[in-house]
Amino acid sequence: MIQKILIANRGEIALRIVRACRELGIKTLAVYSEADVQSLHVQLADEAICIGGPKSSDSYLRADRIISAAEIADVDAIHPGYGFLSENAKFAEQCESCNIKFIGPRSKSIQMMGDKSVAKDTVKKAGVPIVPGSDGPVASEAEAVKIARKIGYPVIIKAVAGGGGRGMRIAHNDVSFAKEYHVARNEAEKAFGNGSVYIEKYIEKPRHIEFQILADSHGKVLHLGERDCSVQRRHQKLIEESPSPFLTADLRKKMGKAAIRAAEAAAYENAGTIEFLVDAKGNYYFIEMNTRVQVEHPVTEEVTGIDIIKQQIRIANGEKLDFDQGDIKFDRHAIECRINAEDPARNFVPSPGTIGLYYAPGGHGVRVDSHVYSGYTIPPYYDSMIGKLIGFGSTRKIALERTYRALSEYLIRGIKTTIPLHKAILADPIFIEGKATTAYMEDFMARTPPDLFS
Amino acid sequence: MELKQIKQIIDLMKRSELTEFAIEEEGFKLKIRRGTNGLPLVSMGHSSNPPFGSGAESAAAPVPAQAAGVPPVAAGAPAEEAGVSYIKSPMVGTFYRAASPESKAFADVGTKVVENSPVCIIEAMKIMNEIQAETKGTILEILVDNGQPVEYGQRLFKIKQG
Repeated sequence: MIQKILIANRGEIALRIVRACRELGIKTLAVYSEADVQSLHVQLADEAICIGGPKSSDSYLRADRIISAAEIADVDAIHPGYGFLSENAKFAEQCESCNIKFIGPRSKSIQMMGDKSVAKDTVKKAGVPIVPGSDGPVASEAEAVKIARKIGYPVIIKAVAGGGGRGMRIAHNDVSFAKEYHVARNEAEKAFGNGSVYIEKYIEKPRHIEFQILADSHGKVLHLGERDCSVQRRHQKLIEESPSPFLTADLRKKMGKAAIRAAEAAAYENAGTIEFLVDAKGNYYFIEMNTRVQVEHPVTEEVTGIDIIKQQIRIANGEKLDFDQGDIKFDRHAIECRINAEDPARNFVPSPGTIGLYYAPGGHGVRVDSHVYSGYTIPPYYDSMIGKLIGFGSTRKIALERTYRALSEYLIRGIKTTIPLHKAILADPIFIEGKATTAYMEDFMARTPPDLFS
Repeated sequence: MELKQIKQIIDLMKRSELTEFAIEEEGFKLKIRRGTNGLPLVSMGHSSNPPFGSGAESAAAPVPAQAAGVPPVAAGAPAEEAGVSYIKSPMVGTFYRAASPESKAFADVGTKVVENSPVCIIEAMKIMNEIQAETKGTILEILVDNGQPVEYGQRLFKIKQG
């Protein structure tokens, strides 16, 4: 029986976990850095242990200190939240060997899905579509062209050693391929010291649609519907919603089943998310699996009524999921805006500092998940997300209007936030029509004058 | 000085931790001091030697609600005296005065230490870590008990430098 949980995280997710524990009658231990002494969850937890200096590398990423704290405080389980050590297979393994329950999947599932090519192979064998491509680096130009033709243009040529969006060239036909292939190789050699490249189908203006999975330790795997997270800037999500305005009932059913198959192939337990890219024709491709609870989990909670964090704790406790796929209803529409302490008018430069006045919106169908308060000083050492605003209702139209209304009431004085940006997006016809793809933000920023989103 | 300005000064004092304020101008002197039953200073979270644990006392209401408008205070620490410093824990674990139950304690009150003098053991995950003084001086006070769990940054010894 889990009676005490150590929360190995900070900010809004740590607060979220404290809340779930309190409702379940489970004691909480907050571990925190010296920069987070004033953090709300540290004050609310039953116990708190300082585990290091302000930098994450000296605190929240110190697995040794976290486990040490777990031992001296005699905890039964650790909830890793998201980010930090949540997808660190070694940390999960350390917990396992110290007889502390890691609230999440087993370390071998984390390891399997953490390796992108192993993950793709695993789900491919389970009949889940993946982005077509060469299986690994191409040995020659001739082989590369052959693969490109087989996949079908357009294709993207990616550096094996690349990352962060660098070392990628797109080719639309044989002629441009011949040129881009060599450019890509040269760039890769110069930037990463390794000219090896691989080929993948280039999916144009895809939507990012992910499925929430819950799996217990008794073999039951369910999906809680999808979240459309296409509104992104530099691969960082800004707005998420469920259901996706693009999916038909049929496509949702197919993708839901595929997501379950992918989770089963990983012998998955606890909460996780299967990410897909979906093109304009409704073709969907697995890109990766997130083996943790996600930032945007409240969207799914408000649509289905299921408390994902509590379910995580129950699953870790060895309990069976006491509902089936058919019991899950997708009754409402929910939209989440990630509120960041950034200045959208100045290229999203971070805006840490002290919050003078904080007033969060409320009312029917509004949820705010935030750890900040009037007088709180945002430390500069961590990410800039200070809260999430979720608006929900029985239709998408209501959710849109409600979220817009809530954003208008949301006061955070003393720092710059992305609230005005979210308002502008929620008022934008393309978003309102549900037509946003992952290409949306770039287009929106280009055609919207800065004084309309700041 | 006008009444309005005096009111502003009082307001500023209320919103900060100033306990005393004095100003002197041509023909005018003003001194304001916080009374003993004045606004309570909000001491958040831990005392100077936090036994680890916090929320229990403030569980009734989240501390920030009381602190609205008061700038956040780091753990209320006693003022640093001249020439006095503290040996702080560099890790999370259990504090021991000696290498084993039968051994003599590494340091007592009055012990003189140099930078690499061992002062205690902190056990973390079954590993005994010898902690060194990292300063030169004399032990004035031992701030934790043998076998007590300690957190990162917790004060273990008070040392007179030199």
